Amino acid sequence: MKIFLLFICLFAALLAQDSQTEKNEYTLGEGVQVGTLPLYLGGYFSVDYTKKQNSERYRIDDIAFLAYGDYNKFSYLLEMEYKEFYTYTNFNTTHTIERDTRLHTERLYIDYTVNENFMLRGGKYYSPIGFWNLLPINVLRDTTSYPVSTRILFPKFTTGLYASYNQYSDNELQIDIILQHNNDIDANYNNYITDEHYGAGVSYAHNDLKLKLNIGMFDNVVSDTLSTHLYYAVASLQYDTEHYKITSEFGTQRNSKGFTTKYAAYLQGGYRFSDKHLGIVRLESYSQTDTNRKDNIAIVGYTYRPLYPVAFKAEYQFHSLHDENQFLFSWSVLF
Amino acid sequence: MVGVVLKKRYLFLIIFIIATVNAKEYAVVVQKGFANISVGKIKAIYLKKLKYLGDTKLVPINLGAQNSVRRSFEKKVLKINHSRLKSYWIKQHYLGQRPPITLKSQAAVNAFVKKVFGAIGYLEASKADKDLKIIYRWSD
Repeated sequence: MKIFLLFICLFAALLAQDSQTEKNEYTLGEGVQVGTLPLYLGGYFSVDYTKKQNSERYRIDDIAFLAYGDYNKFSYLLEMEYKEFYTYTNFNTTHTIERDTRLHTERLYIDYTVNENFMLRGGKYYSPIGFWNLLPINVLRDTTSYPVSTRILFPKFTTGLYASYNQYSDNELQIDIILQHNNDIDANYNNYITDEHYGAGVSYAHNDLKLKLNIGMFDNVVSDTLSTHLYYAVASLQYDTEHYKITSEFGTQRNSKGFTTKYAAYLQGGYRFSDKHLGIVRLESYSQTDTNRKDNIAIVGYTYRPLYPVAFKAEYQFHSLHDENQFLFSWSVLF
Repeated sequence: MVGVVLKKRYLFLIIFIIATVNAKEYAVVVQKGFANISVGKIKAIYLKKLKYLGDTKLVPINLGAQNSVRRSFEKKVLKINHSRLKSYWIKQHYLGQRPPITLKSQAAVNAFVKKVFGAIGYLEASKADKDLKIIYRWSD
């Protein structure tokens, strides 16, 4: 409760300050500048509901704060987040309540723009792999759930260096290099605990079409004495027009002995009925050999955005593992 | 029969000439020492993907959201409709990027570009200051 009050007071103070500066009219979803400092603040939250055959869950999932700005060729970004802040689960007739009040470091980095082609980054950042992982928060993604392939093939976050080369003409070419040879800034707040991650990516965009290829290796730390090198490759495609959006990612992962994930892929189609209404169909499939788990998933979803930074989403998932069939609903806001 | 076909042709010609004469021409302007750049780079500058050209910091300038020149620029040069562009900037806010600054008038665009090397603006071609360089033209 204290955290909520603190958060409300902070934001109210910022808005009050902002209303005095004529040029910085606040718009929801675009953050607010603190005075004339190179400091912009924002954040987001999401709440969701999940219903499975024998259980239901209510959750305050994300409460996050953003701070960023730039000065000459330098820019910075900090994102702190409460994850699964409050979870109420009802399993059969037994209910449990869990609270996680640890504040996690979601992203923390400094960028340096070398020139029109090169950019360097140091810190903790979203691994620039595929398309989904670049904007993974609920309010900005197309569905409440995320494709399984975006969470099992590679580390969601990297703590280390990142370099990108960009070339702009009628087409866009981007080459990414990922380097990590140290511990994660917030090791438990990642899908893999890793202290090494080396990756490379190349992407090409022409009009509405984007293609991307990523390869890499990371160290999966299982315990103090046990870790495994895992290698991944991901190919991605996105075709985004005024009404249609098609996104697909296909990847595989292996260790020195063989495949740990033979394949993990999704193909998602979205249709914008209008600025406020979006229909989604997603097909997913994966086969993990290390856990001997396979599933095929079909997802039908609908998103209503009264304003772009406010999203109400509903979806139903049909799994070949029938116990996983579920309905999800979420409400999320970016401010 | 031949007369009817000729009349139709003249009618189309007249409509074409009227449409061409009435089509407003617009221009993207920079200071005279600024390099010529492709329309792809202009787009990248306005989407804040391209922030520097050499050592020059780029400062793209927008007109107000409802301004007809801006709407034409978004449609013909950026090739993104206004609502998708709005959603683009909301996503960019999450990635730590701000949209271009907005000025109220074409006169203000002229004055700002003349003052700041690296500034880039758009306006009606007939209103472009003679001391500025036009690097791209388009029409409705």
